Amino acid sequence: MAKEKAVKGAKAPLNKVYLKRYWQLYALLFLPLLYLIVFKYLPMWYVMIAFKKYSIVQSIWEMPWAKNHGFEYFIKAFKSNDFLRALKNTITLNLKDLIFGFPVPIIFALILNELRLKRFKKTVQTITYMPHFLSWVIIYGLALQLFAPSTGFVNLLLNKMGLESVPFLNSSATWVKTYIGLGIWQSFGWNSIIYLAAIAGVSPELYEAASVDGAGRFQKMWHITLPGIKPTIVVLLIMALGNIIGSGFDRPFAMQNKLVMDAAEVLATYVYKVGIKGLQFSLTTAVGLFQSLVNVFFLLSANFLSRKLGERGIW
Amino acid sequence: MKKKVLSVLLACAMTISLAACGNSADTAAPAPADTASETKTEEAAPAEEAVEESGALAELVDGKFADTRHITVEIYDRNNDGGTDPTNNMYTDYIKKGMLDKYNVEVEYVAVPRWTEVEEINNLLAGGSAPDICVTYSYPTVLTYANMGGIVDLKDYAEEFKSVTPNLWDFIGEEGIFWDKDPKTGSLWAIEGRRVETQKSVTFVRQDWLDKLGLKAPTTTEEFHDMLVAFKDNASELLGADASKMVPFSISYDVGWRATNLIASFQDPKMTDKERYVNGFDDRYATQNGTKEAVQLLNKWYNEGLLWKDFPLYPSGDSTEDDMIKAGYVGCFEHNWDYVFRNGEDSINSNLRRNVGEDAKFVAIDPFEDKNGGHSKWMYSAFGTDRKIFFPSTNDEPLASFLYLDFISSPEVLKYLQAGDEGVTHEVLESGAIQLIAATGDPIQNSGKNIDYTLTCNGTWYGDEKTAALSLAYGYGDQDPELVDGASKAAFAEGMYPKNVNVGEIAAEAEVGDTLTAKRDEMFDNAVVASEADFDSVWDSYMADYLSAGGQAIMDERAEKWAEYFGDSDMLP
Repeated sequence: MAKEKAVKGAKAPLNKVYLKRYWQLYALLFLPLLYLIVFKYLPMWYVMIAFKKYSIVQSIWEMPWAKNHGFEYFIKAFKSNDFLRALKNTITLNLKDLIFGFPVPIIFALILNELRLKRFKKTVQTITYMPHFLSWVIIYGLALQLFAPSTGFVNLLLNKMGLESVPFLNSSATWVKTYIGLGIWQSFGWNSIIYLAAIAGVSPELYEAASVDGAGRFQKMWHITLPGIKPTIVVLLIMALGNIIGSGFDRPFAMQNKLVMDAAEVLATYVYKVGIKGLQFSLTTAVGLFQSLVNVFFLLSANFLSRKLGERGIW
Repeated sequence: MKKKVLSVLLACAMTISLAACGNSADTAAPAPADTASETKTEEAAPAEEAVEESGALAELVDGKFADTRHITVEIYDRNNDGGTDPTNNMYTDYIKKGMLDKYNVEVEYVAVPRWTEVEEINNLLAGGSAPDICVTYSYPTVLTYANMGGIVDLKDYAEEFKSVTPNLWDFIGEEGIFWDKDPKTGSLWAIEGRRVETQKSVTFVRQDWLDKLGLKAPTTTEEFHDMLVAFKDNASELLGADASKMVPFSISYDVGWRATNLIASFQDPKMTDKERYVNGFDDRYATQNGTKEAVQLLNKWYNEGLLWKDFPLYPSGDSTEDDMIKAGYVGCFEHNWDYVFRNGEDSINSNLRRNVGEDAKFVAIDPFEDKNGGHSKWMYSAFGTDRKIFFPSTNDEPLASFLYLDFISSPEVLKYLQAGDEGVTHEVLESGAIQLIAATGDPIQNSGKNIDYTLTCNGTWYGDEKTAALSLAYGYGDQDPELVDGASKAAFAEGMYPKNVNVGEIAAEAEVGDTLTAKRDEMFDNAVVASEADFDSVWDSYMADYLSAGGQAIMDERAEKWAEYFGDSDMLP
């Protein structure tokens, strides 16, 4: 407390002193800052395209404003069935990812933590990380080899056993399951790292005390490990909620096929197809802006809620 | 001391940041602004422009620029195995040297990836750095650019430069040059390339399978179906241990293309020009009469197990289907008329010969009979179906660009680009026909007959019609000329040529092209794999979506425009 006051009181001179003493560090910071400004902040001006009639040959200042006080393209998007379909799919897929995918790395980290044999633990960890480094194009290639209805290995096996082929990739409902499943498979090992690190930070004294009190394994997990990593879980959950209508592009794009588009078209692929391929930059910038606003809203409310409930937020 | 270092560092930092700002500003804001003002003056003062341009023609001294000019030209990069750098190889050297010697024009090529060309050109245009001569297959894309003011109007240039571009006028002629001319405003946004080979699609079947089963080549749709059933029933005789991999009839996710002759056979050959035109936006005939019935037949065959079951799962450019065909598991399929002969040693027929046996080969058949009992099918028209050449508004060398188009349209240049050097990439047969030899190394052609360089010409030409006709069957390296000839004949048989209905721009077609194409594929694919009972409801619901997403608006506007130009008449004048 006292220190803080002191800093506040002597703010200006202290800053100068810091700048003088550590100027090398500030100089080092300069390039990353420049990167952020040039590639992250300056382009934000172009969000104006959402409110203007885009033309490839005019500068952003010359483009005329869009109709309906600049909201023409937002209205157009919300009138378009394709946009609504993509919005619905994005939310559905992300929610399912969250519900089924979020707990998996936590559970996995808890299990790994209980393993005694160090070498076995390390091996399991390494193997589960691996899929994280595969591109989705390759994963879809593997999925085709395994799950294609007439030539996929799994379906061939089922057929040999006298069962019908399962339409893993070619019917919307099952495609969603495959999509979620492959997503979990690809990322749970990698995502568990942060939880393992958090678990390592829980004081061993607590476990010892619990053992003395006669707690079993599950009780220790429930009463010590989980509360110990709760802040980490909350922060990651807030971040996940902040991306609830965003999504990566490569995963849905690589896994799409013509039979499942009514479940597989998400906003990222919609923007690519309509905006970049179809040259409708205004419309898709509007969609992107909408997406960002909703995400920020979710991020803020999740953060707010978590602080209200007595947890640490992300700021 | 410390201060000095700091000030130097700050100075450096400042220059870096200035340079960075300068860069981003250069590429983003002012450049498009400049081009915009240029287009504006162009549109505002055509009279002035014309006066200036007669000056432009006077710049030529004995047909040559006094000072060296520089133009950039778009070239597709197909990134093929063993190919050469598309911007720098034996053929580009030939053009560069020729243009410099003849007109004192320096040519520079700009590579654009073939399969993402539209996205790439979008970005280049938006950045003001598009090549002076651009090319695309999609006219709606050209119109989108034109509406944004991004393209030079060629209407005055074309006539004005006529005297110095005789080869262009000889080869493409008035028809091709003014094919896309707007009937009202007279604007000309693009020049059409000419399709010399107008054959479109044929059905290929395994001759050795027919022989083994003692079948004759089918000549009706019903016989075709019986043949597919025979293939399926005799899978173990034809494929032995691989019987489970048998695919009697193979299609891809692009059903409308891979069954185009089957679909055409369901159309009424007596359909009026008006009906054809109103439903004519989609090149897979999505809304034409008869298409639904054709797809329903495919749906029936699919449910009988006659089609490749996994076809919708593989995206465009995937080689799985080709690999199955080359491995010998596929009985028949429909494709480009010369598809099985393409790529010399790596062609489908050569692969079959290696993988299956000497007698294994695909031959062309013509099985689908139409409502009149004939075998009518669509050809490509000579113009309107190939590439469209346009100049972005950043092009400040229209004359040099036209001279380039003239140069690559001249008979000797076309012959060299298509056939290369005698003894290396071709030899001349006794009949006068040109036999191509599969080349390796620098003389290799990155695209069939160097189509990517012959912007104005698509197909075997070699400089004149007679040589082209003689040589057509010898254009595929070691492929049997008789089979090639047969495929060509099958593709030509009872072929119908689409007519050009030019009523100016259809505004509803702008921007929706890609979306509708995707929806059409979704519709065809889902309808083919539906259960027979569900077919109608699946087709109807996807069709409703297709129409509401812009398909209906296009049809309405086309009907309106038809009425405006042709009144109540159902046929073209």
